[in-house]
Amino acid sequence: MNPRKPYVRPISKTSWFMTQSRYKVYMLHEISSLFVAIYSAILIIGLVRLGEGEAAWQGWLDAVTSPIGVIFHLIAFVFALIHTTSWFKAVPQAMRIQRGEEIVPGKLIVGAHYGVLAAVSLFVLILAGVA
Amino acid sequence: MSERTIELEVLRYRPEQDQEPFFQTYKVPCEEEWVVLDALNYVKEEMDRTLSYRWSCHMFVCGSCGMMIDGEPKLACKAFLKDYPTGKIRVEPLSNFPIERDLVVVLDDFVEKLESVKPYIIPKEERTVEQGEYLQTPAQLKAFKQYTLCINCLCCYAVCPQYGLDESFVGPAALALAHRYNMDSRDLGRAARDDVVAAAEGIWHCSFVGACSQVCPKDVDPAGAIQQAKFAHGIDYLTSFLPGGKR
Repeated sequence: MNPRKPYVRPISKTSWFMTQSRYKVYMLHEISSLFVAIYSAILIIGLVRLGEGEAAWQGWLDAVTSPIGVIFHLIAFVFALIHTTSWFKAVPQAMRIQRGEEIVPGKLIVGAHYGVLAAVSLFVLILAGVA
Repeated sequence: MSERTIELEVLRYRPEQDQEPFFQTYKVPCEEEWVVLDALNYVKEEMDRTLSYRWSCHMFVCGSCGMMIDGEPKLACKAFLKDYPTGKIRVEPLSNFPIERDLVVVLDDFVEKLESVKPYIIPKEERTVEQGEYLQTPAQLKAFKQYTLCINCLCCYAVCPQYGLDESFVGPAALALAHRYNMDSRDLGRAARDDVVAAAEGIWHCSFVGACSQVCPKDVDPAGAIQQAKFAHGIDYLTSFLPGGKR
């Protein structure tokens, strides 16, 4: 008779991510993409509406500036921040740059990403006449 | 040297008599500079000879003593008792692996996966001893050296939810080692490894939770290795559409 009797500990398929804080952070990061996607879809719909004429554009504008529209965009903004910061933080792992015998420090790569983000944001704000 | 008593809660499982694991608490008189492995050795030598666990070098080189310490996968020889001021430490076998006995887990699945990624140099050219060694510059060595530091302690598998939920996933350490050889300038084995590495159960099964790299006691960064491999395969795929590209 085989004396071996390995014991397999059960893992919940539906609540595994509640067992560790790092899994919760991961799920938050994953869920954030949903809000970014919805925000993008609304923006694309806005572009379509703009092409359909002034009345259609005004309707879209009224919808996004309604209380529900504003609340959604505030929530989406928070998730967009989570999305941006968590992905930027992970970039040096996926983007390993070697120069000669040295690996470019992760801080530099992350810093460059924030620099580009700031420059693009500023450009868009100037274009929009806000800044 | 000062002494203090810690409560070591150890998950026990004796297959010949237990239906399921249970916690057993040992009150261990410890010295200040001890690590968890010292406390386990004290239990084994002075209190309970039936306790089973793996260990060998006691200096974070062999990778044998990976276990869950207060829920976190660690090397027992690197987990200092002074970092657990409550004096109560819970020790369990590595998560995501079947328990063979007490703190010993079944490693067969990992060993098979490790073999499947061909973790050895498949040379560009066979050289005879007379032809001399394979030369490599320090920069070429730097490209993969970090990934050679893996000691197969399996802390990464114990914290990987993808592996926990679906053990068909090749997993962090094996994929990081495949990357190590793929990045080696002396190696030409990437195509031979791709059957396993680039399969759905390989790099594409990883969703970049990143927990493996957070717990790695040797800072190997398996998550980074997997993302870099994904990037390389993505580039291969895109360039295959270019004139002269291989499809």
